[in-house]
Amino acid sequence: MRRRASWRDGGAHAVKRRTLILSGLGGAAALVVGWGVLPARSRLGGAGTLAAKEGEIGLNGWIKIAANGDVLLAMNRSEMGQGVHTALAMLAADELDVPLVKLRLIEAGHDTLYGNVAGFVAALPFHPADAEPGQETQVVKVGQWIVGKAARELGINMTGGSSTIADAWDVLRIAAATARAQLLGAASLRWRLPVAELSVEDGVVSHASGQKAHYGELAKAAATTPSGDVRLKEAAQWKLIGRAAPRIDLPGKVDGSARFGIDVREPGQLYAVIRHCPMIGGNYGAVNVDAAMRLAGVERVVRLGPYAGSTAALAVVGTTCWHAQQGAQALQVEWRAPQAGTLDSAKILGELEAQARDAAKTSGGFAFHTRGDATKADQVAARRIEQVYRAPYLAHATMEPINCTARVADGKVELWAPTQVPGLARAIAAQAAGVREEAVTVHVTYLGGGFGRRLDVDFVGQAVRIALECGGRPVQLVWPREEDFTHDFYRPAGAALMQASLDASGWPTGLRITSAGDAITPRWMARAIPALAGPVDMPDKTVSEGLFDQFYGIENQRIAHVATHSGVPIGFWRSVGHSHNAFFSECFIDELAFEARQDPIAFRLALLKDAPRHAAVLKLAADKAGWAAPPPAGVARGVALHESFGSVVAQIAEVTLVNGKPRVLRVVCAADVGTVVNPGIVAQQMESGIVFGLSAALYGRIDIEASAVRQRNFPDYPMLRLADSPRIETHLVPSTRSPGGVGEPGTPPAAPALANALFVLTGNRSRSLPLLG
Amino acid sequence: MELSINGQTRTLAAAAVDPAMPLLWALRDVLNLTGTKFGCGVAACGACTVHLDGQAVRSCVTPLSVAAGKPIVTIEALGTKDRPHPLQSAWIAHQVPQCGYCQSGMLMAAAALLARNPSPSDAEIDAAITNICRCGTYPRIREAIKSAAVALRAAQPRPVPRAAPRKLA
Repeated sequence: MRRRASWRDGGAHAVKRRTLILSGLGGAAALVVGWGVLPARSRLGGAGTLAAKEGEIGLNGWIKIAANGDVLLAMNRSEMGQGVHTALAMLAADELDVPLVKLRLIEAGHDTLYGNVAGFVAALPFHPADAEPGQETQVVKVGQWIVGKAARELGINMTGGSSTIADAWDVLRIAAATARAQLLGAASLRWRLPVAELSVEDGVVSHASGQKAHYGELAKAAATTPSGDVRLKEAAQWKLIGRAAPRIDLPGKVDGSARFGIDVREPGQLYAVIRHCPMIGGNYGAVNVDAAMRLAGVERVVRLGPYAGSTAALAVVGTTCWHAQQGAQALQVEWRAPQAGTLDSAKILGELEAQARDAAKTSGGFAFHTRGDATKADQVAARRIEQVYRAPYLAHATMEPINCTARVADGKVELWAPTQVPGLARAIAAQAAGVREEAVTVHVTYLGGGFGRRLDVDFVGQAVRIALECGGRPVQLVWPREEDFTHDFYRPAGAALMQASLDASGWPTGLRITSAGDAITPRWMARAIPALAGPVDMPDKTVSEGLFDQFYGIENQRIAHVATHSGVPIGFWRSVGHSHNAFFSECFIDELAFEARQDPIAFRLALLKDAPRHAAVLKLAADKAGWAAPPPAGVARGVALHESFGSVVAQIAEVTLVNGKPRVLRVVCAADVGTVVNPGIVAQQMESGIVFGLSAALYGRIDIEASAVRQRNFPDYPMLRLADSPRIETHLVPSTRSPGGVGEPGTPPAAPALANALFVLTGNRSRSLPLLG
Repeated sequence: MELSINGQTRTLAAAAVDPAMPLLWALRDVLNLTGTKFGCGVAACGACTVHLDGQAVRSCVTPLSVAAGKPIVTIEALGTKDRPHPLQSAWIAHQVPQCGYCQSGMLMAAAALLARNPSPSDAEIDAAITNICRCGTYPRIREAIKSAAVALRAAQPRPVPRAAPRKLA
């Protein structure tokens, strides 16, 4: 029998820490914390969770052992460039004492244990100071417990929110350590030797007496051997965690063999190309398919209603993508404007600004954070300043165009999908095909970028609907790039009125932020998980993250947001609310430093007296950038510091002007991401986030006129190329905290660091994105 | 129609293709050579880059009528498992790819550059690699190209000044 007590009493140091806290709390909290110990263990899964093929033995919901001793790891998260396949494999391999090469990834399936708990718990709108691990307030503890429990029940598998490692940190290591303990236990019983005298190296268990067996030889017995007292390794025992192990997905990504969704090739496969109504939310009227159907290689035309928030569309099925595309272009369609009214992005931005200003007058909007008395601070201020900041809609523009392959035959659906949410993909596929979810098989391929776009499942519903018309043949739906730009779920536009009260010396005594923009989470829930969407929007953290959760010690604060309903389809975009709110907050802090006539870094450090973690990151960046020494002539430095997804990142950008246009020469990035699983991947992700953020800061904008998006392809939506790319250095602050996020936190500081450098360079302060807009 | 792809002659049924069809789709959807990627269809992103007659071309706008009769090389034949192209080795050494989708095109563009210029300057790399990467792998691509250039030059030694024979210690 497995002994749960070992997790509470002996076991992991993470658990020990909680036990210590327990002693200092009252009964109600003890109940919460007591429950809190169990969750990771409850996601272990039974030996039969994974279907075992010939010679394989399942040990729990995550680990199977192959006959040759290889470890098969159930991979529940999607690899979209952020390196999670490697990082998760490292967690399991380290606890199992096997090299990465002996670990193979297998599809995880849909058991609730593969759901994402950490990502949903992190969506709670708590201030980080109240949710500091180990020092959570009572309200935070209860909230996290309730949401954690619900998330475990629902088991929604989601790769996003930079939450993969945070979610797996305990769960996967416990699963691997438990499997290892069972394998050792089996050896102990077989050889009649104490477990304590056995050792494991590279998946081979041995004893000084000469006994030796690899995992494959022990697995069958291990499956029925109790794990006994399972302990996670201490940090000093890690062989892989903390090392820059080469990514396991890269060999296939340099020889063309890596299979993305768009590379799926099944026997008899057809191709479909989509053409949406150009007006968002519009429809098709009369359709003349004659010209299209006369083309060689065109098989049929399928009419598509809205799927999970998409606009109505037509799809043409052909023998290749090109034939289908020729057909799609030959369709003669009367497009109908949306009934809900005309969308115009310039008008919407104007309204957002007006709503923010109106709400600020009456202390309106939902206050995500208050501290001290902002009104009183205003009254006694020597001086007040206020500025409006704005950000546009943005497209995801993943390099791999939106696609999904589906086959519907004999009441069953098979899907090959580059998706961040395989369970939600399964749900909409079942709905579109009119079958039970159990009749749908989902194969998650590599994703050629996600950035949040593939948290939506519109394209999955479309692909299944098309497949229903294809007589049992598989069909691959591909969106031309123009359809991607014009029918994305965009990063919402936003505006914020930033107000500060200053004392006679220019020191900030009060901060008010009143922002306005659409809330992403309720719109996404309504289209992607309609069963959970309520009639009333709950306050959505994503609108105000990066504003309400600032860490600067300004005494009096009121940070509020007005949630609007623009009607534009909006979605999660790398770093979500932080993507624009960090620009607002970190540029405004720079303005306050200027008003106080202080150095931007010295000013920030003075406000970070109670935030040593943030101060350490900022100091490291300043040291590595050589902030104390002036930059070369013609070059200016700008700084930004931001916390998101549990990680703190500072960036210092060195910027010059080339023919009057900004050119970022170098970015020095410092970060505290908690315990580092793979520093090589962390550096990669910081570089990635910076380039992504700089592209958006300089050029990114989606304009909507008469409900149609003007930007249609890459030439209309410029982004950084190699020639514009800065040198990037990443430096990490050593940390023993639980791992924070890595995929997104590099993005938010990029825009304000650049904008703050431009202010130094030009004397002009840009408060609207994009900077070259 | 006959195409010379990766050293082999491939015959495409007349019914399956059209002279106006871009090479990209013949590679991907007719021959199932999916290493070459579709990104934009307008020669803007470079994900579809292949070698045509030794030159890097964007296959999404290269009609079959232009490609026919000329040697075509795709990512699948840039190197082999046993003998990877120095660029592929450098890509691994520098841990360049992230999502990886643009990397076939990046590698083919870089290979064409090094084939004509064994020691490109930064400016020459900038001018030759205009492909788009959304993951921001550019700084590593630059470094990997430079490493591969060094490796290529070492593998193809040019005449060196004759040195005096060294005595073994």
